[in-house]
Amino acid sequence: MSAASALEVKGVRSGYGEAPVLRDVSFDVRPGEIFALLGKNGMGKSTLLKSVMGFLPLHAGSVGMFGVNTTRLPPHKVARLDVAYTPQEQALFQDLTVEENLRLGLRDDRSFDLGLKRIGQFFPVLPTRLKQRAGTLSGGEQKMLVVARALMSRPKLMLIDEISEGLQPSVIDRLARVLRDERDESKVSILLIEQNVKFALSVADRYAVLKLGEIVDRGDIGSAEAERRITDQLSV
Amino acid sequence: MASGQPATAHGLAARVMGHTASRTLVLFCGIALLLIAAGPYVLPTYMVNSLIRAFLYAAVALTVDILWGYTGILTFGQSAFFGIGAYAAGLIFTHAGFGPGYAALALVTGIAVAIIVAAVVGWLAFYHGASPLYGSVITLVLPIVVSQILYSGGNFTGSSSGLSGFESFDVSIEAWFWIAGSFLVVLTAGAWLFVRSDAGRILVAIRENEQRCEYVGINVSRVKILLLVVCAAIAAIAGYVFACVQMVVAPEYAGFVFGTELLIWVALGGRGTLIGPVIGTLVLDVSTSYLSGNLPFVWKLVIGFAFVVVIIALPQGLMPLIKGAARRVLGRSKTAAAAFVPGLEPAVEQPFAGLAGAGSRALVVREVRKQFGSLKALEGIDFEARRSELLSLVGPNGAGKTTLMRCIADGNERSGGTVLLNDHDILKLPPYDCVAFGVGRKFQTANVFETLTVAEALRIARTRLAPPSLWKREQTLALPHASMQVIRATGLDGQLGVEARHLSHGMKQALELAMVLALEPSVLLLDEPTAGLTKPERTLIGSILTDLARSHQLCILLVEHDLDFVREISSRVIVLHQGRILLDGTVAEVVESELVRTIYSGGGHAAAGAGA
Amino acid sequence: MATLFDILTTAAIFYGVAAGLLIVFGVMKIINFAHGGLLTVGGYSALLITKLGLNPWWAVLFAFLIGFVCGMIIERLVMKPLYSRPLDAILATWGLGIIIGQVITLAFGREVQFVQSPVTGAIDLLGASYSEYRLLLVLVAIAIAIGLALLLNGTRLGLVTRAVIMNENLARGLGINSGLVRFATFSLGAGLASLAGALITPLSSVDPNMGVPWLINAFMLVMVSGVSLVSLAVACLVLGGAQVLVSSWGNPILGGLTIVVLAAVVLRLRPQGFSRG
Repeated sequence: MSAASALEVKGVRSGYGEAPVLRDVSFDVRPGEIFALLGKNGMGKSTLLKSVMGFLPLHAGSVGMFGVNTTRLPPHKVARLDVAYTPQEQALFQDLTVEENLRLGLRDDRSFDLGLKRIGQFFPVLPTRLKQRAGTLSGGEQKMLVVARALMSRPKLMLIDEISEGLQPSVIDRLARVLRDERDESKVSILLIEQNVKFALSVADRYAVLKLGEIVDRGDIGSAEAERRITDQLSV
Repeated sequence: MASGQPATAHGLAARVMGHTASRTLVLFCGIALLLIAAGPYVLPTYMVNSLIRAFLYAAVALTVDILWGYTGILTFGQSAFFGIGAYAAGLIFTHAGFGPGYAALALVTGIAVAIIVAAVVGWLAFYHGASPLYGSVITLVLPIVVSQILYSGGNFTGSSSGLSGFESFDVSIEAWFWIAGSFLVVLTAGAWLFVRSDAGRILVAIRENEQRCEYVGINVSRVKILLLVVCAAIAAIAGYVFACVQMVVAPEYAGFVFGTELLIWVALGGRGTLIGPVIGTLVLDVSTSYLSGNLPFVWKLVIGFAFVVVIIALPQGLMPLIKGAARRVLGRSKTAAAAFVPGLEPAVEQPFAGLAGAGSRALVVREVRKQFGSLKALEGIDFEARRSELLSLVGPNGAGKTTLMRCIADGNERSGGTVLLNDHDILKLPPYDCVAFGVGRKFQTANVFETLTVAEALRIARTRLAPPSLWKREQTLALPHASMQVIRATGLDGQLGVEARHLSHGMKQALELAMVLALEPSVLLLDEPTAGLTKPERTLIGSILTDLARSHQLCILLVEHDLDFVREISSRVIVLHQGRILLDGTVAEVVESELVRTIYSGGGHAAAGAGA
Repeated sequence: MATLFDILTTAAIFYGVAAGLLIVFGVMKIINFAHGGLLTVGGYSALLITKLGLNPWWAVLFAFLIGFVCGMIIERLVMKPLYSRPLDAILATWGLGIIIGQVITLAFGREVQFVQSPVTGAIDLLGASYSEYRLLLVLVAIAIAIGLALLLNGTRLGLVTRAVIMNENLARGLGINSGLVRFATFSLGAGLASLAGALITPLSSVDPNMGVPWLINAFMLVMVSGVSLVSLAVACLVLGGAQVLVSSWGNPILGGLTIVVLAAVVLRLRPQGFSRG
């Protein structure tokens, strides 16, 4: 694809030690779209995000964001390209307060108040809990805090790893709405890694299915046929 | 071996170790002893004196290398045992007198006290689950405590000036040189034999992967404590001889600074090489005694500098550099000697060794739960499994599959409930005791010993059932049928001499499986055995597993994400979801279940509500 | 009463000495065995000030700066290559300590020397006459504690540092340059060590090996405190107090062992020591 891609993954091969988990993965996320990467566990989804962010060196292939080749950049430099990464596990500093966690989503403190107002629209409960330790929030509230922190800095690209896991349907709906609204308003590009097909289909524009380290299917969301195909691929 | 073997030392050694090794050993001992015999006549007196001390220090450095270089225990404390041996002599000869009886008493006392202290320190430092940092902390505290006790002993221990002028053996300097020198040579030879032996490989295994050792049935704490005790005794003997030669003992010899000097010598000489620390100690200590007169502080500065550089840039010490240079000078090729490869033979299988008999049920899991703080990882897990059953555990991420595996193989993992292996309750027993009940666990990521060869790894896996020799390398390796099958089918039998780190990922998985099968388990726990494997490798593993269940009547518990694989080989499937069993049935039942479909496509909570 | 002051001042002194080691351990998960050497550097900085005839209070600032600079150099050259090898880091920093000791010996000589105390004399407090300087050190320790607390909890740098302490990878994913945080923390820790060295020398003397006993005690106190400055204060009071009591009523030499032995025992019974975790 051209330099217009928000995220371009080409021929990526990576894994832990010698074991190849990803075996030649290529796809791109266009600016202002939500792209869902689906697949069951052990298929390499989290490995892909770690490779994209620079936590895991690639065995082969390249990663580019907004025209910048990020293949060899360390994670903190990738993040500074206005990329917000929400990992699946340990996504919060449990012993820090809600406010401190939010502040860490920003490059500097000056835009805190503005950012707080913004995310307060999406998650009204958070501004009321600023001084509470993040670890004492409920599971759903913690996930909301993770997304809020990611949104604080007005990122251009968001990499979201299985945010819906373990959440109640109502919270999942709210999250879906937040992501769609943010995409519409700020034209943010989102790569959504998911196992939850229903949630992914409710927000994404395009999708790809990852199986045993390779992309086995891709296309546009919208047709009922696509939904059926995906569900078949992911079930037992 | 031919019956016409000459009854020489060489012949005997050859029969024990193989020809190349015994030749090296005899050559080394011969040359060393010759040098030592000639020493006093060729070298100036000052150097002879220095060398006597250096020989004894080198003996202690050997023990540090065994503990640190080979086993990975960073110890600052060997000096304490040296000091104990020295003060046993000093105290008894000063306060009681000297004579053959007292000399023997002092030696025995020194060794006995060292052994007792080592046992206590070992118990404190090496308990199951202790962090390596804590262990090192204890070895650091030890010499400080010992030297401070000596400082505070008043006239009895001589306080800071120590004890001197006591009577000792009436032996010439030359004789002491020969005694100390031979002591070092014998010790080095013995250490070398031990380290190359089958039992000695366990040291390296512990350094590389303690967890794997525990899961093949080795009580790592006990090994470390035993090792420490033996090394303490050796250091005490060296200290005793030192006191007899010098006729002076001071608290510094038991102290922390001396302990770190030993580490410096070992690091510079080359940790894990035995000969490196010996030569390093000899060279450095003698140099120090010569140079410390002229440029005391500059010399120590140089050593400190070299030490820091070596730690950062040359962790293997200077020995490999010297070896490489020597090799280039002598024009020898760089190929390493061919690795030792034993022959394979079938083992006499000992089903349920140590147990009363086969249990009526292979595995019983009753009301098991696991909690991390307020997070319930497992809740109400209840099922039984029989021999010849191939049971697959599936479920979304975070469902608790690996946690359940851990709870079955390690008695300390679960928060509640009961696990019976072959009708034996695993209570709170650590992994190595659970192995004795018949369980073998294969980890998710290939969990082997990187620098050990395939053959060595397999031999270590046989430790519990076939205790290895302390000085020999057996020419044959006996493996049970199941393990042999895996090795032959995957081609590992052609790679017995290859170090594990050079194996492909698929081969490492196969090696770990073969190691676990070498335990002769009746319950086999496999965590994602096909992760990272190619299609042909998967098919191979699949057929091996089916055969294991059928022909060897193993009870196999499998965690897998590759559901095609699961469908092909399982006889039964348990679906875990959010820590609970959602469904337990045949493959057909699970595949057709509406419930299972829903949780996989994300309608998680409704499903859990309905199914719970 | 004097015993109570002894306990308070001893705890304060240990706190000042160990605080620098604790923040380095918290951020880098590595024990810096050159801490003793840096303490010695601080002591000799104070000696230099005495020799130059300047006001002894300058020693405090001077020592801190020298320590800070040394810390910067050490972090880049020695600590960075050893991030993944904590046991080797202990050894390498011990080697550094030797180097520092030898350089100091070459520069200043091996004999014991004395530093001018900024404050001399005794003060009457609560019915006992006690060294004014020692009591002053309690205030200094409190100032250090408050300063660190303000730094960690009130500044952006502090927040970022706490984040790195808790979860370095998550911090990096959020754009935090953890390498820079390590560099800054180590330099600060080294500066604090040197500062503490300058402050404790008026109590006795300087010699090239003065840092070693302090290092061992500080090391054990840090081990037992986990990563919390608050539990460090608790540890200093409890263990430091125990040391004072054993020294006064028992044997002073064995009293020197109290902290070390008690800490080892506490850690065996409760691996997280005095910290909450």
